[in-house]
Amino acid sequence: MSGADTQVRHGNDEAVDVSDPRLSRFDLVREGARRDGVEIVHYAPRFPVPGTKAEKRVERTIALFFMLTGLFATAFVVIFVAWHWEWHPGNNAGSWFTPLLGVSLALMLFCVGAAIIVFAKKLLPEEVAVQERHDGASPRDEQVLTGATLLNMADEAGLGRRPLLKGAIALGLAPVAAVPLVALGGMIDDPHDEDMYHKTGFDPEANGGNKVRLMRENLTPVRPEEISAGGQITVFPAIPHGATNQHADSPTLLIHLRQTDADELRRNLGHVPINEGDMYGNYVAYSKICTHAGCPASLYEQQTNRLLCPCHQSQFSITDNARPVFGPATRRLPMLPLEVDSEGFFVAKSDFEVPIGPGFWERA
Amino acid sequence: MSWKLGRRRRAVRPDDAVPAFTPPGRWRRRLEATVRLIAALTIVGGLYAALAPGVSQAEDTPPLSADAVQGKQLYETTCISCHGPNAQGVENRGPSLIGAGSAAVEFQVGTGRMPMARQEAQAQKKPPHYSWEQAAQIGAYIQELGGGPTLPKGQKLRATDEKAISRGGELYRINCSACHGFGLGGGALSSGKYAPSLNDASDREIYAAMLTGPQNMPVFGDAQLTPEEKLAVIGYIQSLKANKDPGGFGMKRFGPVSEGLMIFLVGMVALVFATLWIAGKS
Amino acid sequence: MKRRKLDLAALPAKSAEEVDARLTVATPLRRLLNKVFPDHWSFLLGEIALYSFIVLLLSGTYLALFFDPSMEEVVYDGAYSPLRGIGMSRAFESALELSFEVRGGLFMRQMHHWAALLFMAAIVVHMFRVFFTGAFRKPRELNWIIGSLLFWIGFLAGFTGYGLPDDALSGTGLRIAHAIMLSIPVIGSWVASSFFGGEFPGTVIVPRMYIAHVLLIPGVLLGLISAHMGLLVKQKHTQWPGPGRTNDNVVGVRMFPGFAAKAGGFFMIVFAVIALMAGLFQINPIWIFGPYQAATVSSASQPDWYVMFLDGSTRLMPPWEIRLFGYTLPPLFWPTVALPGVLTMLPLLYPFIEARFLKDNQAHHLLQRPRDVPTRTALGAMAVAFWAVLTLSGGNDVIAEQFHISLNAMTWAGRIGLIVVPPLAYYIAYRVCLALQQHDREVLAHGVETGIIKRLPDGGFVEIHQPLAPLDAHGHPEPLEYLGAPVPKKMNRLGALLPTVRGFFYPIEKPAPPVRLDQPSEAPVSPAPARSEITTGS
Repeated sequence: MSGADTQVRHGNDEAVDVSDPRLSRFDLVREGARRDGVEIVHYAPRFPVPGTKAEKRVERTIALFFMLTGLFATAFVVIFVAWHWEWHPGNNAGSWFTPLLGVSLALMLFCVGAAIIVFAKKLLPEEVAVQERHDGASPRDEQVLTGATLLNMADEAGLGRRPLLKGAIALGLAPVAAVPLVALGGMIDDPHDEDMYHKTGFDPEANGGNKVRLMRENLTPVRPEEISAGGQITVFPAIPHGATNQHADSPTLLIHLRQTDADELRRNLGHVPINEGDMYGNYVAYSKICTHAGCPASLYEQQTNRLLCPCHQSQFSITDNARPVFGPATRRLPMLPLEVDSEGFFVAKSDFEVPIGPGFWERA
Repeated sequence: MSWKLGRRRRAVRPDDAVPAFTPPGRWRRRLEATVRLIAALTIVGGLYAALAPGVSQAEDTPPLSADAVQGKQLYETTCISCHGPNAQGVENRGPSLIGAGSAAVEFQVGTGRMPMARQEAQAQKKPPHYSWEQAAQIGAYIQELGGGPTLPKGQKLRATDEKAISRGGELYRINCSACHGFGLGGGALSSGKYAPSLNDASDREIYAAMLTGPQNMPVFGDAQLTPEEKLAVIGYIQSLKANKDPGGFGMKRFGPVSEGLMIFLVGMVALVFATLWIAGKS
Repeated sequence: MKRRKLDLAALPAKSAEEVDARLTVATPLRRLLNKVFPDHWSFLLGEIALYSFIVLLLSGTYLALFFDPSMEEVVYDGAYSPLRGIGMSRAFESALELSFEVRGGLFMRQMHHWAALLFMAAIVVHMFRVFFTGAFRKPRELNWIIGSLLFWIGFLAGFTGYGLPDDALSGTGLRIAHAIMLSIPVIGSWVASSFFGGEFPGTVIVPRMYIAHVLLIPGVLLGLISAHMGLLVKQKHTQWPGPGRTNDNVVGVRMFPGFAAKAGGFFMIVFAVIALMAGLFQINPIWIFGPYQAATVSSASQPDWYVMFLDGSTRLMPPWEIRLFGYTLPPLFWPTVALPGVLTMLPLLYPFIEARFLKDNQAHHLLQRPRDVPTRTALGAMAVAFWAVLTLSGGNDVIAEQFHISLNAMTWAGRIGLIVVPPLAYYIAYRVCLALQQHDREVLAHGVETGIIKRLPDGGFVEIHQPLAPLDAHGHPEPLEYLGAPVPKKMNRLGALLPTVRGFFYPIEKPAPPVRLDQPSEAPVSPAPARSEITTGS
């Protein structure tokens, strides 16, 4: 601070008479700052000699930025109003609307910002100010006085010697605390109503006791011969709204295995007793809802017979009752018991025999 | 045996057709290697044909069509080493192609996946060794050997009307996007396998892939996804590619990963430079 | 009495007098205007978050004019033809309308989303700055806690916003959120069904998230941000150590006009970057994702980047499930409920833990350079490495696909990396800190390398060093104390070179004469070295 300090007066503790006409405006500024505990220790114009080439140049730069601001603001308005902005397929004017808006607005904002910053950096005087901190604990006296003020209230209330009041307040206010909690209780929804975590749209009971057909997303039922060997299809329960999110736990992957793979699965069915008899020929259906976090586990690899979930990469072995073989999933995908009805369409023999989807506390 | 001489002359053609930008040394090496290989194969094949009558020209099989004959020649130049004579397959090297159909051959050869450069998790798409016409000839040969799914004629296999495209989108999202992604960018499968990006896939490629289920892709036979539905799916895919992203640069439509990368690489970096400028000495 | 003519020149002063007569603001206003702010680039990082928040409020209000958070089933018949005839929720339809049928609506949507990503990015980078410089120490623990909470509240704001359009990606995210709620021990199924009003997805979750996203969460954010800034004003800013700077003062520029002008300009720049990204980079193209359907999903399903570390932790979690007495603790619980709990509490408590360990009860207003507190820096590096491994694992399928790496190998690399990389980061950061300190000490002891090589009479070569301290009677530099402040390491930091000539293409002004180190500078415009160190701290 060697050089700069010499230019400013230090330690002028006498109060300045602000009505003194000899004081310049900056003298008043410094006095105001001083009264606020701020000392301006260095304050120097950027261009001590006015009108130099360098100063003019800065002026021109700032002026240019402001002019450009106006230009880009106009451009933004014109683009916004006049551009053919509607979306059409392909590559056309509409697909350039958003980029043009963005570029013109960004340039406008950048030019304003740059103009202000250049102004602040190049034209406003160079300044170093020092402000004293008055932090830390308050003086001891203040703490004592405030403490007394607060505690006085407790003394005057005199709850210590008025036990009736103490009891009445406790008893009276406790239920008040319950009021907002109970009000929020309107949100509480019993998950065990209708057994929402154990039943899906394939439940025959909800279908008037009839076994539920499997259908495609376009509501058509599915015949075995329609699925190619090595193919898979997403099926839904053929009930009203069965393919919508009203039955978000029902999407099922129906797979037609190749002969050798189907044989392998048949051999392995015994590993999971409830899966016995759930295949139909070389067809098998697994819940599409991952047992880990509920994403549709539907990346079916038809040669390696793995089913991959794209969210957390759990991998299930199709030929071993959808046993999780990699990733964070711990449980097999439930198998939907399949058969074919008299008209040759797939139906679910019953609902899934274990809860589908991610695990939860009460799930055994 | 006269056609075997013809085969020898013709079989050089694929390498004759090597594009001009291939370095001459490599071109020459390849050509010589091919010629040597063909010579050896011709001798062996000729001896075999002579010593084992009834194999080469069995009286009861119908004669091959002209395309298939050319295809057979190509097959026996390249494919035979892994898939064996008469496409019967070779243990641990390549599967039998009986029943694979011309669609599968066209897809695998036409996209350069076959012939494979080496045994790996999955055959890669690469600059094709044979043109799509040659692939079709091999396809015709395999088709006439063992039958299988075939592609419809024509290069443009896509629906273009709005309704079909919208239906194609629905089908795409339920059947395809799990592996190939909403943005067509492809995706990883288990242990090094992957679903390829569809961004430079042609109509025929996509059609053939759906029909035949190459590698680990499930098969979508015509009973499961009707030809109209296939055309709709292709129409959706191709229209998605043709539509310029209305929101600016699409960043390969990878979603949040590229967006997160961008906010740091562009947003934060630009603003940190701005802070350096603002707080710097004038 | 003659009616006085309206004196326009005196009008501002007159109005100000009238306002002050009613509100008595002259003193407090001047105190505020005179408040001193230290000037350093790293102090502007938090401002980025503040300005993004303003952009979020503005653009969000605009979006709310058009968005309809209803989960009613409708059939789309709007401008985007590839989705016509598709069934979807009204929320998704209105998000499409906003994108394709409102002029400039897509731009606003993208601006809102990019501003959200920038908000979170700036919070995280600002947090790194505060942590690594020790700005969280007494008396600023409370502001550190508020800042940490701001991250989590911002996280919630982001997640609820991500879920609103009800597209296939956000629905997948909601489904995972549902599974996370389910995984909470004992009450999980109750929590999930209460939030979703029954079965997933139900019809209330989007309206509920909407009210949280546009009212509750912004309210909390606004309150916390006000408290954050109020405390900053009350406690005054920290500063880097340097000449004239003590624990009892703030050296910098007064708020008005210097700081205010720069801050105003910076707001414009931040806004400009958001607008530029909103125009040039497409974000969250919901029309490609399509409406949410429970059966649809995409490869590379990811949350926004600030949630990705939890996605990563979920992916890396081994398949461990606890089953006891007929009850289940799903594997999802550990990475998505237990881990965030720890990650919330640990940073909140860190200032107190550090103070306890160092038995440090002092108030600190001077920052520490990361190298001077190797243990803290190393711990921070460890935390960053832990977070980075998780975040990268959150995108490991995209990395696997783009770089042709096995997905399973990526998962294992993440699992091993999560254990190996953080300690490694600790060790490396610690050693780097010590090495940087050592270099500072060497320069203090021997001076700055001049680049001048001298040949000794015996044939050896030595480099001449410019000592920083005056020489003592024997011609040796006096020893300089290590103060934890920047040490000049180049000769031109000592004024040995001429200042740069002004002008881009041709010189417009002669450069000021070189500064003599042994004489105080006289020219007010010449950059005197001591002063420059005050203003920039570097």
